[in-house]
Amino acid sequence: MKMSTLVFCCVALPFIMGLVLYFTQSSSTRKLIVPAAITIMAVAAVTLGANGAFRLEVGSILGLSADTVFSVLDLLLLVYILGIGWKLGSRLIMGMTLLQLVGLLYLKFVLPGHEVPITAFVADGLSLIMVIIITVVGGLITIYGLGYMDLHEEHLHLRVSRQPRFFAIIFCFLGAMNGLVLCNNLSWMFLFWEITTLCSFMLIGHDQTDESKANAQRALWMNVLGGLAFVSAMLFIQKSLGTLSTELVLQKMTSLDVKNTAILLPFAFFCLAAFTKSAQVPFESWLCGAMVAPTPVSALLHSATMVKAGTYLLLRMAPAFAGTTMSTIVALFGAFTFVATCILAVSQSNAKKVLAYSTIANLGLIIACVGINTAASMMAATTIIIYHSVSKGLLFMCVGAIEQRIGSRDIEDMRGLYGKMPRTAIITVIGIFTMMLPPFGMLIGKWMAIEAIARATQAMTPIVFFVALGSAFTVLFWARWAGVLVSSSKMHEHPTYGHPKPSVMFALRSLCGLAVVFSFISPLVLKTFVEPSVSGVYARFNMQAEGFIPGATLTGAEGYVWIYFLFLLLGLGVWYAWREARRVPESSHAQPYFSGLTEVKDGVVGFRGPMNVFEPVRVSNFYLSQYFGESKITRAIDIISTAFLVVLVGGLL
Amino acid sequence: MLTIFSAIGGLILSPLVGGLLTGFDRRITARLQSRIGPPLLQPFYDILKLLGKQPLVTNAWLVFSAYVTLISSALSLLLFFMGGDLLLLFFVLTVGAVFQVVGAVCVPSPYSNVGAQRELLLMLAYEPILILVFVGFAMCTGSFSIAAVFQLDQPLLLKMPLLFLALGYALTIKLRKSPFDIAASHHGHQELVRGVQTEYSGPYLALIEIAHWLDLVLILGLCAMFWHTSVVGMAVLVGASLFTEILIDNITARLTWQWMVQKKSLLLGMGLALVNLLWLYVA
Repeated sequence: MKMSTLVFCCVALPFIMGLVLYFTQSSSTRKLIVPAAITIMAVAAVTLGANGAFRLEVGSILGLSADTVFSVLDLLLLVYILGIGWKLGSRLIMGMTLLQLVGLLYLKFVLPGHEVPITAFVADGLSLIMVIIITVVGGLITIYGLGYMDLHEEHLHLRVSRQPRFFAIIFCFLGAMNGLVLCNNLSWMFLFWEITTLCSFMLIGHDQTDESKANAQRALWMNVLGGLAFVSAMLFIQKSLGTLSTELVLQKMTSLDVKNTAILLPFAFFCLAAFTKSAQVPFESWLCGAMVAPTPVSALLHSATMVKAGTYLLLRMAPAFAGTTMSTIVALFGAFTFVATCILAVSQSNAKKVLAYSTIANLGLIIACVGINTAASMMAATTIIIYHSVSKGLLFMCVGAIEQRIGSRDIEDMRGLYGKMPRTAIITVIGIFTMMLPPFGMLIGKWMAIEAIARATQAMTPIVFFVALGSAFTVLFWARWAGVLVSSSKMHEHPTYGHPKPSVMFALRSLCGLAVVFSFISPLVLKTFVEPSVSGVYARFNMQAEGFIPGATLTGAEGYVWIYFLFLLLGLGVWYAWREARRVPESSHAQPYFSGLTEVKDGVVGFRGPMNVFEPVRVSNFYLSQYFGESKITRAIDIISTAFLVVLVGGLL
Repeated sequence: MLTIFSAIGGLILSPLVGGLLTGFDRRITARLQSRIGPPLLQPFYDILKLLGKQPLVTNAWLVFSAYVTLISSALSLLLFFMGGDLLLLFFVLTVGAVFQVVGAVCVPSPYSNVGAQRELLLMLAYEPILILVFVGFAMCTGSFSIAAVFQLDQPLLLKMPLLFLALGYALTIKLRKSPFDIAASHHGHQELVRGVQTEYSGPYLALIEIAHWLDLVLILGLCAMFWHTSVVGMAVLVGASLFTEILIDNITARLTWQWMVQKKSLLLGMGLALVNLLWLYVA
C-alpha cells in the first residue's frame, strides 16, 4: 500500500471521522462507525510500524501549498482560542494567546523564509512506536467509551445525547496526536500541539458542571503557556539556525562542538512546553483536575495521548542538548517530579487521584531519563512510554467501570470488590501488578532507568536517590490498593455478574491482555522496536552511543535466556500458588481473629463489643495525610520546582 | 550449568542454615535475658508441627500470598547464588514483600491490617537503602552483576563502610528486629498480636516462616559480599552482623510508627548510604 494512504489513514481520517460523528445523532450508527474507523486506523498504524522509517513529501493540499494551509490553520486556531479566552473572561488566556499570535505572525512574515523546502513527514522508530500506541491504546479507550458514555449519560439524565460532540473531539484528538509525532516541520507540529490543547480543554469541560468548567479553564491556561513557550522556541530556532525542520535542526545542533547559551535557549523553551503538556510540577494541577471528565477522557489524557506529547517532544529534541548542563538540570527536575508526586500519591484515597499522581511521577521518570541523555537512558524512556500507556490506560478504565457500579472512586469503598465484580477486580489487580512488579514491562523500564542512571556522568547521586526513594513510595500506594481489592471474608467468592456493557469488558480484556502479553515478549519488543528507534537516532546524527549496554536491556543474547529462565520459574510458582489457593476446601474456612470475640451477624463479620453489642469490623489504610498531605507539601514542591524552571531558562538568558 | 546446579544446591541448604541461625538467635536471646532457651533445633520442630496442622484461613488469597511470598524469597536467593543481577534480585524480593502486605490487607481484621500498613512504612525505609547499596556495588564493579564483585581484588568494605552500616540498618528492618519490629513482633507485644502474620496459621504460617529464613540467609549473604576476598573475613562479617542484630534486638525498645515516618529514622540509613555514594563518586 502507498505510504501516503497509510499516513492519511492515521492523521487525516480521524478528523474526517470526527466530522462525520459530529453529525451522527443515531447511537446505533455511531456504534458501527467508531469500531470500523478505529480498526482502519489501527491496521494502518501497525502497517506503518511494520514498514519502518520513511520520508514523505506533501506538496499541496487541495491545490494549495501545504505550508500555506497549515499557516492559515495555525492562525485560525489561535484566533479561536482567543475567542474562548474572551468568552471565559480570562485575561491570562487572552494575553498569552495574543502573544502567540504576534509571535507566529512575526515568524511567518518578518523573519527570512525557509531557504530549503522541508520534508513534511519524517518518521523514525520513535514516531512509529508513538503512532502505534496512540492508535491502538487510544482506539481501545474510544471503544470503551461507547459503552461507558451510554451509562454515563443515563446517570446524568440528559435529554439530548452529547455523545456526537464527545466522539468527534476524541477522534480529532487522536488524529492530532498522530500528526504531532509524524510531522517534521515544527510549525505544523505546533498546529497539532495546539489542537491537543484545545481538544483536552473541550473534553475536560464536557460535563458542563461548575467544577469541570473551572478545571478545563485551568488546563487551558497552563497549556496555552506551553504553547507560548513553543512559539518562542520556534522564533529563536528560526533566528539562530534558519530552519524549522526538526531533522535539520537536530543535524545542525549535533554537529556543533561547543553549544553556547544562545543556541540552547530555544531548547529550554521546548522543555518548558513539554513540562506543561506532561503536567510536571508545578503544572501538575491541570492533570489532577482533568479527572472530573468522563473516564475515557482521563484514560486518554493519561495514557496514550496528551501527556505523552510532552515526553515525545523531549525525546525528539534530546540529541540537541546532549552532554550539556541544561540536560542535567532536566534530569534532576524529572527525578524531583518523580519523588514529589509519588509522595503526594501516598496521601490519596481517591483512586483516580492516585492514578493521576502516578502518571505524573512516571512522566517525571521518563524526563529524568531523557535528561541523562545516553543511549541506555533513551531506551529506558521509550520502554516506560510504551508500557506505561498500556497499563495506565487499563487502570483508568477499570476505575471508571468500578465507579459506575459502586458509585464511588474511593479506594476504601473498593474493599471486597472481588466479591461484587470479580472480573473487573482481577483485571484491576493485574493492572496494578503490571505497574510495579517483575516480570512486567513497567518494571523492566524502571530497571533500565536505574541502570542508566547509575552510569550517568553528572549529578548521579541526587538523581539515583530521588528515584530510589520514589520507587519505594510507589510500592506503598500500589500494594495496599491491590490488597483492598481482593479483601474478602469468604473462602472462595462465587461471582455472579460483571459489567453490563460488552464494549467496556472488551476494552478492559484486550488492554489487560496487551499488558501481559507485551510484558512476556518484552525482549522482543525491546529488540525490534526500542533499540532500533534509539540506535537509529544516534546513527542519523552521528552521535556516539556511549553506555549502550545494560544487561537489563535484555537484548544481549545471554540476558534473554536468563530472564526467561527466571520469569518462567516465577510464572510456574505463581500458577502453582493459584492452584493451591483454589483447592483449599470450604471446610478450612475460619473467621478473622478478634481475641476470641468474633461474631458473625447477617453475613457481616465483627466482634462482640462492650455491653454485648455487635460491632461490625471496620478497617482502613493509613493515608498519612498529616505528613504527606497535599496541603502540607504542595507548596514546598511548587517552590522547589519553580526554582528548577527558573534555573533552566534563566541560567541560559 | 554448574552454576545452576550449585545454586540449586545452595537453595536447598539455605532453609537448614536459616533455621539453625534462627535457633541460634533464640538461644542467644534467651541467654541475654538470663533464660536457658529452647534447643538449637527448636525452629525445625516448630515448622514440622505447623506443617502437620489442619489449614484454617479466612480466604483463599491468604494461601496464594503465602506461596508467592515463599516463591519470591526462594527465587531471589537462587538469583543470588547464581551471581545474577542485583537489581533484578531486588525486584523479585519486592514481590514477596508486596504479597505479605496483600495477604494481610485482604482479611477484614484490624490486627493484620495495622500490621500491613506498618510493614509498608518499613518497606519505605529499607527499599531505598537497598537500591542505594546496590548502586554502590555497581559504582565499584562497573555492573550490577553479583559475579562481578568476585573479580575485585580488594574487599568492598574498604570502599563502602558507610554503605555496610546502611545495609545493617536495612537488615534490622527487613528481619523485623527491635526497634523496627512494628509490623510483626516476635516479642510478647500485645497490641499487635502478630501484625501481618495474624491471620496465617498451620502450614501457611510455616511457609511464611521458611520464607523468612531464606531472607535471613540472603541478607547475610549480601553482608558477606563486603569481604569477598577471604572466607574468614566473610565469616567474621556475617557473625558480627548477626550478633549485633541480636544484641540490638534485645537492648532496644520498639518504635512507634510515627517515629518511623519522621525524618530521623527514615533518613538516617539513607543519609549514610548517600554520603558513601558521594564519596565513591568523587573518588
